[in-house]
Amino acid sequence: MTIIKKFDTTEPQRGFPKKYIGLIAICLFVLMLVEVWANNNVVTYGEKLERLSALAKTLSLENQVLENQIARQESISNVASKSAELGFSPPESIQYIRQ
Amino acid sequence: MTRILCIKILFLFLFAAIIIRLFYWQVVRADFLESQADSQHFTNTKIDASRGNILFSDGSILASSNPVFSLYGLPKIIKQDQKIKIAYLLAKLFSDDLGEADPLAKDLIKRLSQDLYWVLLKKDISVEQKKQIEDLNLDGIGFEQGTSRFYPEGSSSAHFLGFVNSDGKGNFGLEGAYDGELKGVPGLIRNEQDARGLPILIGNFLTNKAQNGKDLRLYIDRSVQFIVEKSLKAGIEKYGAKAGSVVVMDPKSGGILAMASFPNYDPLKYFDYPRQYYKNPVVADQYEPGSIFKVLVMAAALNEDLVKSDTKCDICSGPVSVGGFEIRTWDNKYRLETTMKEVIIHSDNTGMVFTARKLGLDKFYTYLQNFGFGGQTNVDLQDESSPEIRSKKDWREIDLATASFGQGIAVTPIQMVSAVSAVASGGNLMEPHIIKDIKDEKGSFEIKPKIVRQVIKDSTAQQIKEMMVAAVEEGEAKFFKLKGFRVAGKTGTAQIPVAGHYDPTKTIASFVGFAPADNPKFVMLVRFDEPSASIFGAETAAPTFFEIAKQLLLYYNIVPTE
Repeated sequence: MTIIKKFDTTEPQRGFPKKYIGLIAICLFVLMLVEVWANNNVVTYGEKLERLSALAKTLSLENQVLENQIARQESISNVASKSAELGFSPPESIQYIRQ
Repeated sequence: MTRILCIKILFLFLFAAIIIRLFYWQVVRADFLESQADSQHFTNTKIDASRGNILFSDGSILASSNPVFSLYGLPKIIKQDQKIKIAYLLAKLFSDDLGEADPLAKDLIKRLSQDLYWVLLKKDISVEQKKQIEDLNLDGIGFEQGTSRFYPEGSSSAHFLGFVNSDGKGNFGLEGAYDGELKGVPGLIRNEQDARGLPILIGNFLTNKAQNGKDLRLYIDRSVQFIVEKSLKAGIEKYGAKAGSVVVMDPKSGGILAMASFPNYDPLKYFDYPRQYYKNPVVADQYEPGSIFKVLVMAAALNEDLVKSDTKCDICSGPVSVGGFEIRTWDNKYRLETTMKEVIIHSDNTGMVFTARKLGLDKFYTYLQNFGFGGQTNVDLQDESSPEIRSKKDWREIDLATASFGQGIAVTPIQMVSAVSAVASGGNLMEPHIIKDIKDEKGSFEIKPKIVRQVIKDSTAQQIKEMMVAAVEEGEAKFFKLKGFRVAGKTGTAQIPVAGHYDPTKTIASFVGFAPADNPKFVMLVRFDEPSASIFGAETAAPTFFEIAKQLLLYYNIVPTE
């Protein structure tokens, strides 16, 4: 004898549970508050950004000036005149030693 | 009733007027008003691309950009009593002595008194001067930033560098030839701004990044360039030459190690010099090479096995008659049965006529072209000229004879040094290059050495090299030779054609050679225009060549072999 066990099917819930709707609403509200807060904060950063841009420009300009100063100091014409001041002169006669 | 109707009609008219006005603003004038609103809302900032640097072979700076400022004043903002004070403060800062300060201050007062909103007070203000002016806290004074070129080595190398004009465009030399690579592409930032002109970070933001110019790294060695410039300058003064040029080339790669010419100009003050100074004589000047050309004609005849080093000249016992003209030796001395080697040693014109006759016009012409004459060398510099070789059918017997010793034929110094470089490098004609690699933010692009063609066999190159070594050891320039080193070289003294004839008192003295002869590190051409101390290359260009060679051998740590 075959015993067929019968199961009662549960009826699917219709619509979205109310607790989820509430949760989403709260999330959206929080997000809205965060956006308002972020926007309020970020808007005031324009001045800061402008200051940082100006600083970056100044630093890059100073960097270029310093690079050029180094180039001038280590230029061969400058090294030649400085070495002459210190008493160096081109070799007049060169002696080669054979091993 | 009538009054209510009137009011209704009035309201209807007002309503219609509002609708029409709105239609006018929102449809008819929409584009214009939108663009006006945008211009108030948005700001466009141009980002200048910095011009690329030009570097020596070791990476040190030859030319770079330097920030400079223009000082301006706003006459309508500055109060009348302040103008005099500002003018005197600025004048004091700009002038070294008090004598200069007074007229400068008066000029500034004049400028600030003009009925204008904006006046330029001074150009090319340095960063230090700008800081000093800012510390004065003056009202109605401002700065505009610009850039100028910066040359840490001073005005050296002006001819191959070229210059950048006031519009930022490169002219002549590398600045002209590589202007597209050096100048870069400017960028743009477009962002929304608030009422105070500050950027709104959450607003619309568009950016187009600036691409800075590329850096050019050269084959030019700054030590070699310094030695060459110093010695050339001293040579021009010592021998009273009108002008002079030296070019040093690496025969293995074709890389130009040094290139200098005098008189030259300051690339920062190019406008103070005559225009003819701007062209680089090494690539633009056309001249008759004289006896230095003999080595190439001899190389051609040796390569064709028409003569050998010990072949005897049977026409060299006296002046040679060609097409009604008489060809003489430079010293009017004639050697019976002189050999080809001796022809090069003594720079014998009659011996070269003998060689050219053996070679014949067809082969002579072919070798001229193979050595790179009659066309450009493709050196990476602006204004390279290529003297034309006249058509083969126009050559007379006398033309072949004179061309064999470098008269009646025009070349450029760069052509000449490239051709002799082929002898030094075993017969390979290399394309001359000044740029080693081009660098940008993404990486670097190397310009590889290029062999144009093999002009002569290696064995021929060895033979002609030995002749050139003998020319140094036993020829007219033997008093200047370097002890212990084998140097290959040849003197040249070319008369200058003036109004259809040659002026015997005006010459171009030159010396071309390479060292060490057995493994050449450099090929060099020294050229003096109209030296007054002596007209001969052996007494002017040769000593300068050996003076430079001595320093270069020491610089390259090359020891004597003999």
